[in-house]
Amino acid sequence: MNPTTSPADIIGEFGPYPGNAQVNGVTYDGQVVWWASNKRLNAMDPASGEIVRFLEVPAHAGTAYDGKHLYQVTEGHIHKINPETGDILSTIPAPSADDSSGLAWAEGSLWIGQYEGRKIHQLDPQTGAILRTITSNRMVTGVTWADGDLWHGTWDDDSELRRIDPHSGEVLESLTMPEGIGISGLESDGQDRFFCGGGGSGKVRVVRRPNKKR
Amino acid sequence: MDSLITAAASALAAGDPLRALNCVALREDAPALALRGIAMAQLGDLPQAQHLLKRAARVFGPKQPLAHARCVVAQAEIAFVSRELGWPVKELASAQVTLKQNGDALNAVHACHLQARRSLLLGQLDDAERLLGTVDPAPLPPIRRAAHEMILAGIAMQRLRTVPAREALARAREAAHLSRVPALKAEVAAAAQRLETPVARHIIGDHERLILLSDVEVLLASGTLVVDACRRVVRRGKVVIPLASRAVLFALARALAGAWPNDVCRTDLLRAAFQAKRVDESHRARLRVEIGRLRQLLRPLADVQATPQGFALRPRNDVAVNVLAWPVEEEHGAVLAFLADGEAWSSSALALALGISQRTVQRSLDVLAEEGKVQWFGRARARRWTASSVPGFTTIMLLPTLLPGG
Repeated sequence: MNPTTSPADIIGEFGPYPGNAQVNGVTYDGQVVWWASNKRLNAMDPASGEIVRFLEVPAHAGTAYDGKHLYQVTEGHIHKINPETGDILSTIPAPSADDSSGLAWAEGSLWIGQYEGRKIHQLDPQTGAILRTITSNRMVTGVTWADGDLWHGTWDDDSELRRIDPHSGEVLESLTMPEGIGISGLESDGQDRFFCGGGGSGKVRVVRRPNKKR
Repeated sequence: MDSLITAAASALAAGDPLRALNCVALREDAPALALRGIAMAQLGDLPQAQHLLKRAARVFGPKQPLAHARCVVAQAEIAFVSRELGWPVKELASAQVTLKQNGDALNAVHACHLQARRSLLLGQLDDAERLLGTVDPAPLPPIRRAAHEMILAGIAMQRLRTVPAREALARAREAAHLSRVPALKAEVAAAAQRLETPVARHIIGDHERLILLSDVEVLLASGTLVVDACRRVVRRGKVVIPLASRAVLFALARALAGAWPNDVCRTDLLRAAFQAKRVDESHRARLRVEIGRLRQLLRPLADVQATPQGFALRPRNDVAVNVLAWPVEEEHGAVLAFLADGEAWSSSALALALGISQRTVQRSLDVLAEEGKVQWFGRARARRWTASSVPGFTTIMLLPTLLPGG
């Protein structure tokens, strides 16, 4: 089956934020969008784009939220973080020391993308053990689940958002980003929006999630 | 190697650039150009030095990679000392590789240190640390070892880790002493002095005292609520609420924190927030709106409670409220607050972040630069500003290590 391809509908753009040149992982806790900028996890009001607070924790790659805690990939580890205090509650190893990209939470597991490895792993959030691996043919950046669909970002020469079959890895749908615009972190708001990190552009973009065609 | 080059090289090594110039002044071959460049750098004519070294690098070309790479390192050092941080760092990184491959380990380390200093000045602490991590300082000669420790100390101070900063400075002092270079000793002493100079006022209730960087470190780690006027944030531990671009909200937070555990009456809050001499009904309405906003932003750390007279700050978990302020009340505090994080800012980015005109920002920066509180590097649109507490580039030139055959 050929995937349906359409241009991504960018409906909002925030940043760049002075002092935070890089946007890595992105997640959403229902009130604020959290995004990682190397030294900090920033909490952004998705209505105004303002940074309302931040946590001083290392934040170099993907970010996820399990309903209570934040998870942050940084230099070969995944930290579990209390969003109220910024305390790191526990740490598990990431599947690779420097290739980890996006992070998502779904169904009691962590899902982590590997950029050069072109893979998505399902991890045991307690131990970091790899439970399952999905292979992609593109560099994988952000990963997110939305209504039972697995989406991930790709970014090498160009960038797109892809909905894939979580079992076979087959691409079911793809939204292509305009030339020169990449996706680092990715998160859905559970409704009709994706929040996309813009990597070195320092921007957070909002992309409309297409209606289901099933 | 011809005798004039050798004579010029030894004159340079002995710190006599004029004698060196006498030997090679009219020669246009590559080694002579390089030596003339180094001599001009030692004489303080950096643009001319840069020009000569560029020509030397071109004449050496790819057929003499080692000499070429040394010229690149010297050019980079002069560029950074001249505060031209836009200089192509990629060339410096590849020069480092060439030097290492050709057995010039010392200049390879020097190239690495130059990159680390640049990263430190730009606020890229992780990069600076990663670069230093590739160098083992133990076998280095004292000058290079002192430079290494100074960069480490700079990173630690930026991260507010005073114990490792102090340790690195002690090692730097020892190495500088061994090097017998007076300028280097003075530079280490000046950096160490910064750790013993008050950096802020600590205010809690009616008590106020000047505190050192190490005290700031302890206070911020104590888990109490800190309203930090130096950085214009409200914080508890690792949770930080930035208010630098929200002047009214910060003024309110500061006034409430100053009075804690008591409340502040509405009139005083209005004075603090709007500098209103006379207060009318429209001010009161605006105060209600602003307090509502502040309450919303502070929610994770504190409540802003209404009292019969006004409002009071009520931190969560019953922690104490502290205020940190500049040692002297600072007119251009908003600009300094942004620079206090160690990042390098353009004036246009500052204007954007502060929501004020670029001319106003520029005026503040000029005043602060005159007082030695901020420093700049780069030209025109590439100009960036940092707080002077960020260790910059020194004028210590280690160019004689570049000598042909050296």
